[in-house]
Amino acid sequence: MNLELTPEQESFRRAVCALLCEESVREEVARARRLPADQEPGLLEVYRRLAERGWLAINWPAEHGGLGSSVVEKAILTEQMIVHGIPDVVHTLSVDIVGLAIQRLGTEAQKRRWLPRIAAGEGAGCVLLTEPEIGSDLGGLSTRAEPDGDGWRLHGRKVYSLKSQFADLALCAARTTESEVRFHGITVFIVPMRAPGVRVEPLWSMSDERFNQVVLSGIRLTAEDVLGEVDDGWQVLHDLLGIERTGIEFEAKARRLLDAVLDETERTGSVEGSEYGELLVELDAEVWAGQLLAWHALGDMLDGDLDDVRCGMAKWHTTETAKRISELGPEICGLTALLSARDAEAAPGWLLESAFRDAPGLTLASGTSEVMLSLIASAGLGLLG
Amino acid sequence: MEIRLSAAQLAVQARFAPLFDDEELTSSIRRMGEQPRAGTPAEIEQLRQLVWGALTDLGATRLLLPERHGGEAAGQQGAVALAELLGGVLYQGPLLDTMTATEAVLADGTNGKLLERIGEGAPVALAVRESGSDTPAVPGPVELVGGQLTARRRFVNYAADAEYLCLIGTGQGQPICAVTAREHPTVSLRRQQDTGRGEWYDVALDRTPVLAAPAGFGAAWPRVLAAARLRQSAYLVGMCQAALALAVRRATTRRQFGQPIGRFQALAFPLAAAATRIEGACWLVRATAWEADQGIDIRLRAAQALAMAADLSRTTMSATMQVHGAYGMTEGADSQLFYRRAAVERSWLGSPRALRAEVVPLLVQRRSDSVIGRR
Repeated sequence: MNLELTPEQESFRRAVCALLCEESVREEVARARRLPADQEPGLLEVYRRLAERGWLAINWPAEHGGLGSSVVEKAILTEQMIVHGIPDVVHTLSVDIVGLAIQRLGTEAQKRRWLPRIAAGEGAGCVLLTEPEIGSDLGGLSTRAEPDGDGWRLHGRKVYSLKSQFADLALCAARTTESEVRFHGITVFIVPMRAPGVRVEPLWSMSDERFNQVVLSGIRLTAEDVLGEVDDGWQVLHDLLGIERTGIEFEAKARRLLDAVLDETERTGSVEGSEYGELLVELDAEVWAGQLLAWHALGDMLDGDLDDVRCGMAKWHTTETAKRISELGPEICGLTALLSARDAEAAPGWLLESAFRDAPGLTLASGTSEVMLSLIASAGLGLLG
Repeated sequence: MEIRLSAAQLAVQARFAPLFDDEELTSSIRRMGEQPRAGTPAEIEQLRQLVWGALTDLGATRLLLPERHGGEAAGQQGAVALAELLGGVLYQGPLLDTMTATEAVLADGTNGKLLERIGEGAPVALAVRESGSDTPAVPGPVELVGGQLTARRRFVNYAADAEYLCLIGTGQGQPICAVTAREHPTVSLRRQQDTGRGEWYDVALDRTPVLAAPAGFGAAWPRVLAAARLRQSAYLVGMCQAALALAVRRATTRRQFGQPIGRFQALAFPLAAAATRIEGACWLVRATAWEADQGIDIRLRAAQALAMAADLSRTTMSATMQVHGAYGMTEGADSQLFYRRAAVERSWLGSPRALRAEVVPLLVQRRSDSVIGRR
């Protein structure tokens, strides 16, 4: 075991910190956080500045805009972005999910078409999976890709998608073949979001970032738009969700939230004098345990051997911990932590109130906690058979 | 031992429950406290006045008044029965604070005109929190000189709707209560922006004339606060009951993998546990109200009840949100109304841990049997 970064990794971490601490970056973050309730940040200037250094998609090959580094450097970047409060949803979706999926499973033409823009911080991606009647049960999806000459016409409705209003492309799951085997006959397409036939509508939520409904009305797609193999999209989805589940993003969020709680408790009193002192000690341990699980899962990815159960554990543990801190934060810190960023007396950094509203989504997105526990119980413990 | 609703509780339930029977009205009441993202505040204002009028017509502001002041003397049993109903419809308005103010003003048995005005339906806003992390048991300082009050209070519910402000503070080492007119030139309000999108106000008073300052309030405040905490517990229990009902309905109707999601134990068991704990908390609150009306000191039980209800509101709302999935976070879903409001309501009269820490000495000192036997 070695809990320390290598000298090169530590050097990289410091360099990222230095950039993210620059005044122009802090100002951009502050502006993004104070947007009106019906607006939210899309592609940020800080992404472009990271991209100039090849850092935004650092683990991609150089020809696709990265530096060919490993997922460790990528994890370091993710952690530092979150610790420094950089709005990260567009980045995570575009680089870590959509872009990485294309980088690993796409054709050379697809990689040339999409990856350089994403790595440059100039292209955004989103994911279109959930439908009004389909959440965890993706095998039952009803979006259809109907044969049309040498391609298909895409029809359907996807919901609860994030950042679709900014996206240039989307990974979209659709049924290409009817099959008695639910998981067969699904294809993942790369859908150009600016194409005619794509309509994005807001589904306002209690979060700062809205959900979207995306209506797909006969978009023409060809084989060039298929990610992976036709009818074998289930494997693509499996890989896609595995990528989302190492837990690095969530353990970093949990750490940042707990630090915010500790800061606010100190600001308004003291941690030692707080009735919540012991609970804070407990939560600190949980956060660290989650970080270890996430980095353990990351190690599997580094070795090219993504372990579903370990990923599921990391995802479950880190999201449940982050959610618990988010829900307890206002109780621990007092009523000021319930004031929104738009109130003149909001807790410094605004974070806790916003995080409280985001909290339920942590254990729902990328596979609910129940799905994770089911995975752990069945594939990990041999139960539920 | 008989664990049933008392006659007083049944009577209040029978009187007020029909008001909230209409699902459409209930749905509107749940949203009437929300600052809309966009919308028609005039309609919401109209609804709030309608609901307040209906509640006062039914005698809500007279429940705790003695008969000599035109009240019903329904006691805490009546008050918690109503508070539970209000929580169930997520009522947001000045009623519970008006009840607390009533009991505060009653501390010295004078101020009859003010009490009658409250009984007639004058809303009162309770101003007790100076900061987000203080404790109502030890209220912040105030300056009361020559019948004029200078103070600042935050997190004051529905101050803009109120006719009076009832400010609780510490003066000369003792809790004091001072009632002022809300619409006085020396009173300024600033609406705060909170996660519940409700009606919290930052209130500043600058040498504001005091209309009433009950003598001997210092000795009365612990009892008044305990009763306020008990009613808040009942409100939270009502919220939990309603949120659980939403969750069960969702679990019954939402289908995944070919069946209602309520058939999955992973979802059903947390709801079952919540239902059980809510039932326990509900009876604890009701029993404490009964004890209060027998003249028993309820400071310990009231703090326990509020801490329990607060913890329960957090876990119940979390489970409710999980069952609803992403839909539950959307503006159209009532689940997210409960989730956000619960965060505000459960800490307002003290956080669970602070409450429990406050009453440890009472537990230690407690000796003899309660009226239902030694615990």
